[in-house]
Amino acid sequence: MKKRIFVASILGALLLTFGMAGSASAAGASAEECILTEWLEEKGYLGGDHSGDHADGHDGDHAALHDEELLKDIKKKCKEAPSYIMPELKEVIWGGGAFLVLLGLMMWKGFPAVKRIMNERSEKIASDLDQADQAKSDAQAVKTQYEAELADAKSEASRIIDEARQQAESLRSDLQERAESDIADMRSQAAADLEAARERAMSDLQAEVADIVVGAAERVVEANLDAEAQTRLIENYIDQVGSD
Amino acid sequence: MSEDRITKYAEAVLAVASAESGGLEVEDELFRFARAVEGSDDLRRTLSDSKIPAARRQQIVEDLIGGQATPATTAVISMIVAAGRGGDIQRIADEVVALGAASRAKAVAEVYSVIELTEDQQVRLASSLQSATGKEVEIKVIIDESVMGGLLVQIEDEVIDGTVRTRLKQLREAF
Repeated sequence: MKKRIFVASILGALLLTFGMAGSASAAGASAEECILTEWLEEKGYLGGDHSGDHADGHDGDHAALHDEELLKDIKKKCKEAPSYIMPELKEVIWGGGAFLVLLGLMMWKGFPAVKRIMNERSEKIASDLDQADQAKSDAQAVKTQYEAELADAKSEASRIIDEARQQAESLRSDLQERAESDIADMRSQAAADLEAARERAMSDLQAEVADIVVGAAERVVEANLDAEAQTRLIENYIDQVGSD
Repeated sequence: MSEDRITKYAEAVLAVASAESGGLEVEDELFRFARAVEGSDDLRRTLSDSKIPAARRQQIVEDLIGGQATPATTAVISMIVAAGRGGDIQRIADEVVALGAASRAKAVAEVYSVIELTEDQQVRLASSLQSATGKEVEIKVIIDESVMGGLLVQIEDEVIDGTVRTRLKQLREAF
């Protein structure tokens, strides 16, 4: 990073130096323009003295010669104009000095400041990246925890549903068994009641029949138990006891 | 009245009866009178009512059995009633009969019948009961209309039931 900054500074200084020099040289005109400009000035068409143009023409040959020499001088003069590529020495000196001063200032203050800023920026970016990683890790942990809780919740919900289903099934089974038991008990009780009622009816009927029969027998016995019958019963008793 | 006192009254009666020539007859008449009292609530209440003077109760006894029982029997019953033991005369009579039979090495056979048994029937019944139980018995006949017919004999704790009442009861239970 440091080497890259240094190379960039050099290139910047060179561009600044030659650009300024180029600008300075570019302040002049081209060769044709220079020749034309000088010619017009010498002939007096551009303000100033127009003596040349006001030759009286007495001597045409002499004037032509003069113009030819003037043109040569002008061309020579224009050829000695500043180069578009190579600056003048004083510009190089001033530009190099400025470059060195600027380079010194940059080395002294600029580069450390830029380096510090870059370091701070790097540290901040690294810190931000760390924070981002931490946040990502935290988010991942939260996500994992959330997923685990979600899974637990789903499992708990499933367990509760299963438990509720089992309880409902157990309750249904119990109720069904109880209902069947109650029905069986009711049937048994009804059968027992019916049997008891039948037995009572039979017993009552038998008792009533017995009362009728025995009552009739008693009346018959009483009607026939005269003294002779009583004596016969006593004799029979005595004989039976004696024979046992 | 306590059993001990009943026994003492019974022994006293037996002493009086043995002093008389017809001791066995006194026992029999006392037994019959006691059964008659047992069958009549009014007579039992009258003879045991302490509010009625003893002389009046004795007079009632004289009126009831004076012409039918021996003087010794009448005197014994009059003495018991005068002593205020008219309500216990059944127990005293039973004890007298039991002690008298025991003194003769016999058991008492209480015979319940609708009609009176003849002497011959009583002898043959005693013989039959002796054959059946192995005990010599003295027959004490008790007239009881509820047996309807036949006989019921109780010797101590043993009962031999040949009554029409029991036959009809068995017939009712058979239904």
